[in-house]
Amino acid sequence: MTLKKQFLFAVLFVCQCICAQQDSIVKLDEVLISDLQLKKFSNSQSVLKLPDSIISKNKTSLTNLLNYNSVIYFKENGLGMVSSPSFRGTTAQQTAVIWNGININSQLNGQTDFNTISAKGFNSISIRAGGGSSVYGSSAIGGSIHLNNDLSFGNSFDNSLQMSYGSFNSLGVNYKMQMASARFSSQISISRNSSDNDYAYLDSDKKNENGQFYNTSFNLNLGYKIDSKNVLKLYSYLFDGERHFSGTLAAPSKSKYSDLNTRNLLEWIGSYNQFTSKVKVAFLSEKYKYFENAATSIFSDAKAEMFTAKYDLLYKVNSKLELNSILDYTQTKGFGSDIGENKRQIGSGILLLKHKPFSNFLYEITVRKEITSNYKSPILFSVGTNYKAFSFYNLKINASKNYRIPTFNDLYYQGSGNLNLKPESSYQAEIGHEFKFKNTTFSVTNYYIKIQDLLRWSPGSGGNWTPNNVAKVTTYGAEFLLNYNKKIGKNQFDFTTTYAYTISEDEEKEKQLIYVPYHKFTAALAYSFDKLSAHYQYLYNGEVFTSSDNFYSLNDYLVSNVGIDYQFGKKKFLQLGFDVLNVFNENYQSVSMRPMPGRNYTINLTFNF
Amino acid sequence: MKFSKLFLTVLVSSLFFVSCSDDDNENETPLGSYDNGVLILNQGGFGNGNASVSYLSDDFTTQQNNIFSLVNPTITLGDTAQDMGFYQNLAFVVLNASNKIEVMNRYTMAHVATIATGLSNPRYIAFSNGKGFVTNWGDGGSTSDDYVAVLNLSTYAIITNIPVAEGPERIIEENNKLYVAHAGGYGYGNKISVINGATNAFVTAITVGDVPNSLEIENGSLYVICGGNPVFGPTETAGSLVKINLSNNTVSNTINFPAATHPSNLVVDDNNVFYTVDNEIYKSTLNATTLPTTPLFTTTAQGVYGIYSFAVEDNKIYVGDAVDYSSNGKIYVYSSTGTLEKDYTVGVIPAGFYFND
Repeated sequence: MTLKKQFLFAVLFVCQCICAQQDSIVKLDEVLISDLQLKKFSNSQSVLKLPDSIISKNKTSLTNLLNYNSVIYFKENGLGMVSSPSFRGTTAQQTAVIWNGININSQLNGQTDFNTISAKGFNSISIRAGGGSSVYGSSAIGGSIHLNNDLSFGNSFDNSLQMSYGSFNSLGVNYKMQMASARFSSQISISRNSSDNDYAYLDSDKKNENGQFYNTSFNLNLGYKIDSKNVLKLYSYLFDGERHFSGTLAAPSKSKYSDLNTRNLLEWIGSYNQFTSKVKVAFLSEKYKYFENAATSIFSDAKAEMFTAKYDLLYKVNSKLELNSILDYTQTKGFGSDIGENKRQIGSGILLLKHKPFSNFLYEITVRKEITSNYKSPILFSVGTNYKAFSFYNLKINASKNYRIPTFNDLYYQGSGNLNLKPESSYQAEIGHEFKFKNTTFSVTNYYIKIQDLLRWSPGSGGNWTPNNVAKVTTYGAEFLLNYNKKIGKNQFDFTTTYAYTISEDEEKEKQLIYVPYHKFTAALAYSFDKLSAHYQYLYNGEVFTSSDNFYSLNDYLVSNVGIDYQFGKKKFLQLGFDVLNVFNENYQSVSMRPMPGRNYTINLTFNF
Repeated sequence: MKFSKLFLTVLVSSLFFVSCSDDDNENETPLGSYDNGVLILNQGGFGNGNASVSYLSDDFTTQQNNIFSLVNPTITLGDTAQDMGFYQNLAFVVLNASNKIEVMNRYTMAHVATIATGLSNPRYIAFSNGKGFVTNWGDGGSTSDDYVAVLNLSTYAIITNIPVAEGPERIIEENNKLYVAHAGGYGYGNKISVINGATNAFVTAITVGDVPNSLEIENGSLYVICGGNPVFGPTETAGSLVKINLSNNTVSNTINFPAATHPSNLVVDDNNVFYTVDNEIYKSTLNATTLPTTPLFTTTAQGVYGIYSFAVEDNKIYVGDAVDYSSNGKIYVYSSTGTLEKDYTVGVIPAGFYFND
């Protein structure tokens, strides 16, 4: 039953349909999501939700999960190494990662390394395309990726243990426990991954040396209903990992890198008639150590600690109008061998409005203003509408101004940092069409982004590299998402496909930005028959340029994965699976000179009890 | 369904599918001979493994890029080419990030050997007493593991390592002695090490100005341009031009540059002294006691903001421009008075000119 459900829920491209009766009652939902703005104020943009069923089906990394299921393009420095996303032709630093409503991009380098997050720690992952800075702050230019832990109440006690073993001595273990009563809810997830990662490079006598890694992550989420009006929630996350950084086809490596990230969020929700108030306090820390030679004890390191306090008040004026205000204070301290010790304080005020004058039409407006001593902060906004013209058709239009603030490295890097940097900023607009039929959902989104003051590190006189607000970029393109599913007797088919066409051009050079493919295409076909299921994943990444004159490029590639699962038992079950990754043994590089593995295998075993 | 099809058609047709297959890789064939010209060593982007060698003939009629790969299509030259040294009819290319040296015939580019063991962050190479001497930083973060590797030129094996102070960079040979400039690696040095080429023994260290970055020997004297500590260094210091008497290894003269001036790229050519500061080329003479205050010429018109590589040969001045360090670089050839005569697009980050006559 559960497997069938998995495929049923594998409808990736669920429209953000506005049903007339959807939010007419003000009361706490049985499932509590911390990121309220994702749920309530993201109606004019495309939001793709990957539910638990898809996340648990994914046997490998968060990079792979998103790479094979969305339009986001990934650059991975070899398997398991630094992995950075690019959304709509923007940079990794222009893609925000939001953990339970809190922006977790590194304060040091401005981006999130997707190989330092274990996908299994989350119940749902949503991909919100387009501008989101007015709600989520820095970096939400190309889009934002939301990692959520949804706490549910009501009696339940579920355990799941998943183990996988594969090529290159890759081992993965994940244990998940969920226990809840009417007033109390808890989730624990512990993951451990390790790999020798010493795969042979195809068509070469070399192998991936010095690529071994291990990591452990721990999630604890608690919810407690104090009374009918008040709920306390705690989210806690820890990631501890060590990677040796593999070499390239032309250069060996001896280095290693360790990460230690902690994230804690305490939230108090009060619901009083038309008001819902949330007080949030978060403490995040990130720390890395880099050893140029893993055999020695010489390293460079840096650490950032971020404290955030938020007050979020939602006022439901009537069934048609909702107002939301958020006050946010964030203080960040950075320390490190290369950045000294520095502090940044940012205060911001956000106003959100959603008005639904007709049952099939709404518009939403968000405005944000920040106060900080570190940079000149522009007023950010987002304006959008959602019009359900027909029962099967939704039109979404959104325009916004967004930004990306300079990082601690940009500002303070010893001898190179530039204290006079402005934030990168963008104006952007998009129009989305969503169609929903009986077995098919389909959407097309066209967007246009103009980014100015793009920050770039370049050598000045004397050869000193410094960041400056130099470039202007125009990015535009289209995204297609399609899902088709059909059930015939015990046969269940599910087909999803995504395609992105992206132009991202440096206005001065009139050249495509490096590492932005014109074309990215994914497809996934899943079939199940009773307790047996099989899936096929397909990824096509177009050619990318690796130099700004577009002289050097990396070939396009096409990678396919297949897998089969069989379930023993019913509700409490045992599932056995076998996956073949890169089944056609494609020799490909995601980043120049860093070959990815050829055909490789994983077996996995899941106990639900 | 028809409605969606219509939309799809409209939207798809509104897109401009760019053809990205305009490969203009002409089927270049090796010239067969790369003498009577200059070899340009292109460093390549760090981590990108795209070091390459370009050729420009003395008469400027023939120019070809990527000549090592053309001749040896199955061999990747490597990552971050730092230096090229000539010994007899061989060229030795030191590949810093690859920790190796590729040996090739300097006239045909035919690959001869790869030296891949015993090197750690290799930088520059010189030859003496039938041996190669290669400066090595060791781990950049370690101040105590730097050495000069001694290379057997018939077996291509490292014979021994000579430990030296931090950050050995350029190396030059004269009268069976080797002179190593300690620019400082990750730090900032101010020494010249002297090594006996016959015994592989460290002889002495001579203190010069901060960050000695280029060496020239003329009439029994070693001339050193010291760049000075940069503005982002511990304390900024001005550059200097230091003259060392090689008969007694002592500094015989020092001319200091004005404050905040950081010269590099010393060339001594027929009693003339050339060096560069940012994008300005200066010319002086060996016996001058003061420095010129105005440049011979600048590269401003070519948009070159920092001169990455520099050479003077046969009354021509060669400038290499790294452009944005990811795109293909440029080289410019000027007359002895600074009139631009030729320019060429070469590989990524042209790092040095090696006259192959």
